[in-house]
Amino acid sequence: MNWAPIVLTLKLAGLTAAILLVIGMPIAYWLTYSRRRWKFLVESVVALPLVLPPTVLGFYILVAIGPKSPLGQAYETLVGHPLVFTFEGLLFASVLYSLPFAVQPFTAAFGAVDPKLVEASWTLGISRLMTFLLITLPLSVAGVVTGVVISFAHTLGEFGVVLMVGGNIEGVTRTVSIDIYDEVQALNYAGAAQTALALLIFSFAILSVVYAINRNVWAVWPMK
Amino acid sequence: MADEITADFEKRYGGGPSICAALRVPLGSPHVTVLFGPSGAGKTTVLRCLAGLERPERGRIRFASEMWVDADAGVMAPPQARGVGYLFQDYALFPHLTVAGNITYAIHDLDRVERHLRLAEMLRLLRLEGLEDRRPAQLSGGQQQRVALARVLARRPRLLLLDEPLSALDAPTREKLRGELRSVLRGQSMPTLCVTHDWVEALTLADEVAVMAGGRILQTGSPDHVFSKPANAEVAAIVGVETVILGRISGRQDGLAVFDVGGKQLWVVEASGKGEEFYLCIRAEDVTLEIGTRPSSSARNHLAGIVTDVRPAGPVSRVAVDCGFALTALVTRQAAQDLDLKPGTPVTATVKASAIHLIPR
Repeated sequence: MNWAPIVLTLKLAGLTAAILLVIGMPIAYWLTYSRRRWKFLVESVVALPLVLPPTVLGFYILVAIGPKSPLGQAYETLVGHPLVFTFEGLLFASVLYSLPFAVQPFTAAFGAVDPKLVEASWTLGISRLMTFLLITLPLSVAGVVTGVVISFAHTLGEFGVVLMVGGNIEGVTRTVSIDIYDEVQALNYAGAAQTALALLIFSFAILSVVYAINRNVWAVWPMK
Repeated sequence: MADEITADFEKRYGGGPSICAALRVPLGSPHVTVLFGPSGAGKTTVLRCLAGLERPERGRIRFASEMWVDADAGVMAPPQARGVGYLFQDYALFPHLTVAGNITYAIHDLDRVERHLRLAEMLRLLRLEGLEDRRPAQLSGGQQQRVALARVLARRPRLLLLDEPLSALDAPTREKLRGELRSVLRGQSMPTLCVTHDWVEALTLADEVAVMAGGRILQTGSPDHVFSKPANAEVAAIVGVETVILGRISGRQDGLAVFDVGGKQLWVVEASGKGEEFYLCIRAEDVTLEIGTRPSSSARNHLAGIVTDVRPAGPVSRVAVDCGFALTALVTRQAAQDLDLKPGTPVTATVKASAIHLIPR
């Protein structure tokens, strides 16, 4: 079995989930509590990757980070090599592609926290940030874990975007799903089956963990 | 500079009703102002504006020398900066924290020793000893109410805001906690603004009552004044109880308490409540009027007086009688005509001893 794509895929999914945890929470917080009229526009943008074909998303990202785009050029002057067809470029695409899978569970979880608890904390003199850390986050931990795990799992299985943005470079951008595709193209069904089974078992395990957590909210925040 | 809270503001809800309030509350004493009125009157909105949870569109709220809200100048102090204690109707206890965690939630700036002392003080004051490791879900309604009050009092707020503090409780618990809440509030040094639609609660807790309906404060005054002398028919309909007199027990006989009020003796079937000073509450429909001398009946209280006012209200007339104190009676319009009731008519008012409701002060 070829381990390079598996290691690469886990690294990509892990980093994507970690980044989404950091940038997804402020976005979800804003979506939960903002009273702006144009909030629905942001919601739509965040949800776009759910409905767009990965090739469409991948095409736009490819154009956006290509060497001729402002973003691509800025990256190249900053780092010294182009963003497209690199691991970083792939990571950027993955974060965008999995954004709704993190932000939507986060938003649902924050929204399910009784606003009176947040207001009670404010009137007790506790700042908005500390209220979020002491009240909102502990009470929505199951939703946050769900978002992180689902976006991790979703990144594991992405294909179209990776193909468009990453190319197919061994050890750099060749993920498991691309590897399976290659094996099938090469008529190596045995190799494809091995990798596919590994991905299947791994995905099932992750989803089991998520649903187990959601069955009992306190599983990760134990009752005394 | 007079140390008081002055509020005069308006809060509008998009397309909906507007809520106006003008209030003054003295600081530095355990003065309790009760906002009294039916649900939907805008009472909670007034509290939320004072707490900084709503932004009034117009007007000002000033706390001593601090400007909390000045709509014209765009001043809006955040709730964190106001130092108020807000007791939510359903308590809003943090479900993932213990009783001790809830009570000490807002006093983490104190050092460890002082925090423990404060926690012990609150547990004692609100009789929560032994429950400190429980979660809110493992407490009874009355206990939850006391934890919420302890959490609010622990950080020594400058103003206490209570939103229907007892309404989430069952009747027997409410009965028990009413007196307790009063003595806790009496022991504090800050003023309280309390919202309620329960007139017994209002009379138990209030030093001052503000009657609210339809987003407006209709009348403000001492409880007996507001309840006995409603400024207009609307207030009278809201308060419901027409005669409220402050009295002291002067004697007891045969299970009845005797009150000396305005030179008259009133016999009352005594409630189980302790204390010597009570509000005596008499509903107008429990007062009967007769012309002339004292008739004999099973009723204990026969009070000679003079009619001072007769006001028709639909099929009935509201008759004000001066019998040493102001007493209001409700009689049918027909009866008022038959008895030829008009200001100056001498009457005897009769009230059954069991129809007088006692509220301990």
